[in-house]
Amino acid sequence: MATAMGNENAAMEETTESMPSDPEAVSEEDKKRADEIKEEANVFFKNEDYTNAIDKYSKAIQLNPFVAAYFGNRSFAYLRTECFGYALNDASKALNLDKNYLKAYYRRASANMALGKFKLALKDFEAVTKVRPSDKDARTKYNECNKICKRIAFEKAIASDDGKCLADTIDIESLVIEANYDGPHLQDGTVTLDFANALIEAYKEQKKLPKKYVCQILVQAKKLFCEQDSLVYIDVPPKAKFTICGDIHGQYYDLLNIFQMNGKPSEENPYLFNGDFVDRGSFSVECIMTLLTYKLLYPKHFFMARGNHESLTMNQMYGFEGEVKSKYSSQLCELFTEVFNWLPLAHCINKKILVMHGGLFSNDNVTLDDISKTYRNKQPPDSGIMCELLWSDPQPQAGRAPSKRGVGVQFGPDVTARFLELNKLDYVVRSHEVKNEGYELMHGGKCITVFSAPNYCDTMGNKGAYINITGDDLTPKFTSYESVPHPNVKPMAYANPFFGLF
Amino acid sequence: MSADPGVIGTNDDASSCKRFAVDKGYWSDPYISLFMQKLPSRKAPEISRGYYARVTSIQIIIEKFLQMTQNNCQIVSFGAGFDTLYWRLFDKGLTPKKFVEVDFEQVTTRKCHFIKSKKQLLDALTCEETDIMISKNELHSAKYHLVCANIANTAQLESKLTASGIDRSLPTLFLSECVLVYVDVEGSNKLLKWISDNFPTALFLNYEQINMTDAFGQVMIENLKARDCVLSGAAACANVNTQMDRFLNNGWSGADCLDMSTVYKCLPQSDLQRIERIEMLDERELLDQLLYHYCLAWAYKDTADLGLHTISIS
Repeated sequence: MATAMGNENAAMEETTESMPSDPEAVSEEDKKRADEIKEEANVFFKNEDYTNAIDKYSKAIQLNPFVAAYFGNRSFAYLRTECFGYALNDASKALNLDKNYLKAYYRRASANMALGKFKLALKDFEAVTKVRPSDKDARTKYNECNKICKRIAFEKAIASDDGKCLADTIDIESLVIEANYDGPHLQDGTVTLDFANALIEAYKEQKKLPKKYVCQILVQAKKLFCEQDSLVYIDVPPKAKFTICGDIHGQYYDLLNIFQMNGKPSEENPYLFNGDFVDRGSFSVECIMTLLTYKLLYPKHFFMARGNHESLTMNQMYGFEGEVKSKYSSQLCELFTEVFNWLPLAHCINKKILVMHGGLFSNDNVTLDDISKTYRNKQPPDSGIMCELLWSDPQPQAGRAPSKRGVGVQFGPDVTARFLELNKLDYVVRSHEVKNEGYELMHGGKCITVFSAPNYCDTMGNKGAYINITGDDLTPKFTSYESVPHPNVKPMAYANPFFGLF
Repeated sequence: MSADPGVIGTNDDASSCKRFAVDKGYWSDPYISLFMQKLPSRKAPEISRGYYARVTSIQIIIEKFLQMTQNNCQIVSFGAGFDTLYWRLFDKGLTPKKFVEVDFEQVTTRKCHFIKSKKQLLDALTCEETDIMISKNELHSAKYHLVCANIANTAQLESKLTASGIDRSLPTLFLSECVLVYVDVEGSNKLLKWISDNFPTALFLNYEQINMTDAFGQVMIENLKARDCVLSGAAACANVNTQMDRFLNNGWSGADCLDMSTVYKCLPQSDLQRIERIEMLDERELLDQLLYHYCLAWAYKDTADLGLHTISIS
């Protein structure tokens, strides 16, 4: 299904080669023509035909890129079509041309607010109030934005406690296992194969792991992840098998089905799970605890990458936080956040395959070393390498485009090709988008999407997939599969499975 | 169609989704909270956006009809559930001469109870000349009527409409939202034919599933079956043509049908931009699939030559 909104055609950045380089170079004729085209654009805008308006503004800009109003108006049209990244760029360009262009401050502030960048929006509102001190509307907008910034700052302040994290301060020893608990036990606080096997069965029957064991596993997992760089190199020996899985999204029974089809994790059967383990699905706790258990059991043969859903905002909206609060407590939510913050951002297999949840970058110079050194112990920021690793999407057309998601970037086959060449890689594997067959090859097979949650949200009817390779043959082999039944538990109580609009 | 508990339950689901979306600010409805308490569970953003598209587009069509007839018309709502349309229109001064809601007894009983006990709901029904008559499961007032009937039983429906004072000569809008799909095609055809035979100037507005033959559609059918909601009328939901043909083959002069992806794009852009910022949607494909599998269809008979064929979403 094609996405409903957005401006695929307008996705290209202006090529600067064909545009005049300074105001003097614009002929009178061109200035006049550009203005005429702008008027045409305005008419489209008035009629709410934003796609055509944007197209016309772009043509005007091609002829005369030195008129702030062209960028300002196009910014407005981009806001209307929800392309906040574009809107932001255009507003900034307009302000570069004319720093007194007040409407452009508003445009930029609107785009920033839509992207949740309230502090930046505040700066622009403030700029307007300074130029127009008696403008009530400007003052109102400033005040509202200020309120939001203050609320966010307050929440941050009460959340952290002089920088000490829960993993360090939590008193695990004081937690007690109930006498009537008959489920799996850790061996002196350590994960064993027996524990892992018993855990899988216990979770199948929707039993709950005691809080003490959850904490012990989380604290140990955090320690493991802390010791790794943001990019983890994996070496798969010749003839040895390796499996890459994509999004799981709390679909525990489908996860078990993967283990059924492809074998349980072991030193001979290593796995990489590429993010989005939780949210939307009903059994997110079971999924994450199972995966972390295997991580502790086979630290050098079981790998987990961070996805955009291993973050606070996503967990609050899409069910994981609700599930943890319901099964345990808010305190445990914090501990999960601390572990998620330390998940590696990408993995490199045999120095030939790079695997990350989202995709590639807004600039061509990113090296594996840059990824490795990226500081990641935080919430995903809204720009930069860490953000793009978790949020970007491939696009069919060449070049780059601001992501329609409003965060991250869209990258074309040429971007992938240049990245692979720079870093001497064969191909890239990512996840992040649901696909009908569970996987999709793009960019001539150089950018592969793998998505492992079949019948996503109990609604989509898609297949899930995983990739098998061997150390001496890195050609990906795909296995697609249908969903399996699961207990009738309503998540997103946590998140209701969607059956339809009744 | 019998009074399936599963089908009856869809009212609760729809009402709770609408309540959630209204609380979040997707659209304004001061009355939904009087019928539906706040539930602790969240709804996914694509659900709220889907309901927004449904509620907004239906309101647009209905208001056009009311304006065209200058309120000198009637509205009959099948399977209305806890719909607050009558009260929202009342707030805007857009009340038709008669507004009749039809549903199963289990639903009308509860709705009567809520109306009886809430002043804000009663106030919109009161009128000097006519008393409000409330029984256990039905309500009759000057303009608003709530009756229980099985719409597959045209004789029963006819008698309830007559008892509500419906005037067949007046332009009448018939509304059904995810209702016909629960009736087998023969039954719904019978209903549509009965209406076109008896109402010379009418508009039928139908919101329900469409494009049901793909994987997504099949999964939906299975999911609903598992909840005792059998989509008996799914055959009419195959594509836009089947949705239009059911009217054209049953005496209606003209019909149109748009899937909700198309409708979504036609909605007023500035408000759409506003609601898309309320919650960030993590996977656009979910919304796209959702919209593609629902449609808005309308059909008309325009003996009075009012221009009903010009009514459209944009």
